[in-house]
Amino acid sequence: MTAKLSAPALRIVGLTKSFGASNALSDVSFDVGRGDVHALVGENGAGKSTLVKIITGILEPNAGRIELLGEPVRFATPVEARRAGVAAVYQDPKLFPHLDVAENISMGAAPVTAIGAVDRKAVVARARDSLARIGVGIDPHALIAELSVAELQFVEIARALTADLKLLILDEPTSSLTPAEAEKLFQIVHDLRDNGTSVIFISHRLEEVALIADAVTILRDGRHVLTRPAAELSQAEIVRTMVGRPLKGMFAERAKRKPGRELLRVDELTREGVFSNVSFSLRAGEIVGMAGLVGSGRSEIAQACFGLAPPTSGRVALDGVPVTPRSPKQMLGLGLAYLPEDRDGVGLIMPATIVSNITLPILRALARLGLIDEAAARRIATEAVETYRVRTTGVDQIVADLSGGNRQKVAFARWLSTRPKVLILDEPTHGVDVGSKAQIHEIIARLADDGLAILVISSDLPEVLGVSDRVLVISEGELVAELDPSAVNQETVMMAATRNVRDAAHAG
Amino acid sequence: MPVETEAPGEGDGTRRGLGQYALRFRVSGVAGFLVLLCVAFALLRPAFMTPGNLNAIISNAAILAIVAAAQAVVLITRNLDVSVGSIMGFSAYLTADFAARHPGVGLALLLMPLVIGGALGAINGLLVAYGRVSPLIATLGTLSIYRGLTYVYARGQEITSSRLPHWMNALPDMRFAGIPLLVLIAAALVCLLAAFLNFYALGRRMYAVGSNVSASAFFGLRTKRIVLFAYTLGGVLCGLAGFLYAARVGTVTVVLASGWELTSLAAAVIGGVSVAGGSGNVIGAALGAVVLATIDNGLVLLGIPEFWRMFVQGSAIVLAATADVIIAGQVRHSLRARRRLARP
Repeated sequence: MTAKLSAPALRIVGLTKSFGASNALSDVSFDVGRGDVHALVGENGAGKSTLVKIITGILEPNAGRIELLGEPVRFATPVEARRAGVAAVYQDPKLFPHLDVAENISMGAAPVTAIGAVDRKAVVARARDSLARIGVGIDPHALIAELSVAELQFVEIARALTADLKLLILDEPTSSLTPAEAEKLFQIVHDLRDNGTSVIFISHRLEEVALIADAVTILRDGRHVLTRPAAELSQAEIVRTMVGRPLKGMFAERAKRKPGRELLRVDELTREGVFSNVSFSLRAGEIVGMAGLVGSGRSEIAQACFGLAPPTSGRVALDGVPVTPRSPKQMLGLGLAYLPEDRDGVGLIMPATIVSNITLPILRALARLGLIDEAAARRIATEAVETYRVRTTGVDQIVADLSGGNRQKVAFARWLSTRPKVLILDEPTHGVDVGSKAQIHEIIARLADDGLAILVISSDLPEVLGVSDRVLVISEGELVAELDPSAVNQETVMMAATRNVRDAAHAG
Repeated sequence: MPVETEAPGEGDGTRRGLGQYALRFRVSGVAGFLVLLCVAFALLRPAFMTPGNLNAIISNAAILAIVAAAQAVVLITRNLDVSVGSIMGFSAYLTADFAARHPGVGLALLLMPLVIGGALGAINGLLVAYGRVSPLIATLGTLSIYRGLTYVYARGQEITSSRLPHWMNALPDMRFAGIPLLVLIAAALVCLLAAFLNFYALGRRMYAVGSNVSASAFFGLRTKRIVLFAYTLGGVLCGLAGFLYAARVGTVTVVLASGWELTSLAAAVIGGVSVAGGSGNVIGAALGAVVLATIDNGLVLLGIPEFWRMFVQGSAIVLAATADVIIAGQVRHSLRARRRLARP
């Protein structure tokens, strides 16, 4: 451990941030030691990203302060933060695809020659130098559009190095890297630490945390739970602390019913390089949860069943009839509906009214001699708004003006207007307030009672365990466990989901 | 999960797809196409290759090359200016009118179209960058406004060449080492502009803004100012082009340079400037202008009715833009694939 000569590299005191009524961060305080690799862990939505955005000056906190090496700081922009030696590397690259590596590294602060032109030689030399410092041999003349994800992250790190770097924040850097690339990244992080840079490392992969971190901070529901030396925390402990939220009273108890006939059967479904040999079935009246880390292939499996991205091999049967999913239109017609995670981007037409959103999939059925039966459309929409308790000023309200929870209810109504037999919900309560969340859970339960077979993909473990009759766990594209939610706890699910399949295979 | 990529850090090995080659070598592509075109016309009509005819082609291309470069400057920032023709007409008419009223005005007259064009371009820039109006709608509006003001100001009057300064009338026929002065002016301007865009920080930032506007903020780039600057610079170039065009046609009417928005866009896009921003350069745009002038000329030599000109021009836009979409798609695809993999 580093000596506590003076102030910590970063001190966060009482940081609070709310978006509307919901608190993304409440009163978060912790220290990051000088020259430490500090892991920041928590479930999706625990407030990690918000915290990073506040530290780097993208968001402004409602309360609290930040000290860098004992000095109070408040950055107005990421550029200011960078100038002060604080840089973040995000999951999605913030680079210019049409420009080359060297130019990206110096953009905004390029050295100029006597006649005011950009000093190309100096720019290339600086890029070479920074890339060499982290030990990667990316060609400074390569275009950003030509690089792999890992290379992009290395370029971002190299860019950060051009300033006098005091704190580097890596936001889930390994989520899309291969093991070899991740290893390279760890080496860079170690080198940086040895040179006195502190690193905040956000990751879902707990083995990595154990491998690389000196200290661990756990956030839960926007609150700071603990900060401790990594050596004092076991993985199991981290998982327990991450998810440890009272479960009781959150989910309506559902009367146990005998599941009906098999409505969806998936056999050995494979999509090369994404998921492999996934088999499961859904019965009428059954709610099956699908857990797993973001990027484990959960959504891709669902999308393959829905005909969005055809599988390379395997079989799908709907209500006992074998089908080859080719297009969403075909699958909707056969009675399978999929509610995507990116509700606002894909699931809804934001600038349109509630009526047009809900009736869009059934316009053909509503048409009389080619004209839409406006009255019938409004009747259906009004009914749906009542059934799903959408809080709205009327069916003519624009969907973009609704809250997240209410938008989700409209999305439900929209897909249910096609009267599906099988419903796949991808993160149905992501970004939804607590009240609407409970209502959505109720709707899911009611639909199952009406005889639908429902697959709920969710990163929210209490939700998965609370609403499902069975839980499937996906890790690295494989179905690794099928669990009975009444018999297991969140840790069991998390352990199964974070087990690195490839590493396990390597180990024998 | 990404497909296994080669381990980074091993040499300078980066993978390049076809689209990426296209991104890098677009200008050579246009030049190659131009050569093919010339060879084809030369084989069909030997008269094509005479010095006189080639001179006519580049003379016809010169002013369009300047406007195409102006269009390219705006396109590079991922914007669009369809009011270029109206800016030309407005600047040209006001300047010619002033010259007609003040006989004996010297070369200082040249400043007038530059200032007027710059001001009109700046209005476009303010609307788009600060007013957040979509570039197409904003400049479609000013296309009509600028042209409308020209009509109102002119009250249907045209300005004949006899009322213009003598040097202005003589300008189009001036030659230097046998090359028309207009061509030399256009070539010099385009080269200066290319150097500015390639070697100066502001020029590079214009590419950066067009390449990924959301990343610009993370790099501390003042996106709005950069876009405003691009429109203003484009306006200045259009003002000058309007003046040169007025000198060339002799009689300045209210409809001067109507329809040039389409032609300039065609030249820029054929020249490899991406409508999706961030790529292409003004030399390509100028070559695009030469391609259009060559096609025009060739069609005349082949005796194809002039009505086909519009058809060919439109087809060229569609073809070039389709190629552009494919290339831009590849760039976006590579980024989107990453983003999807890395979604929170």
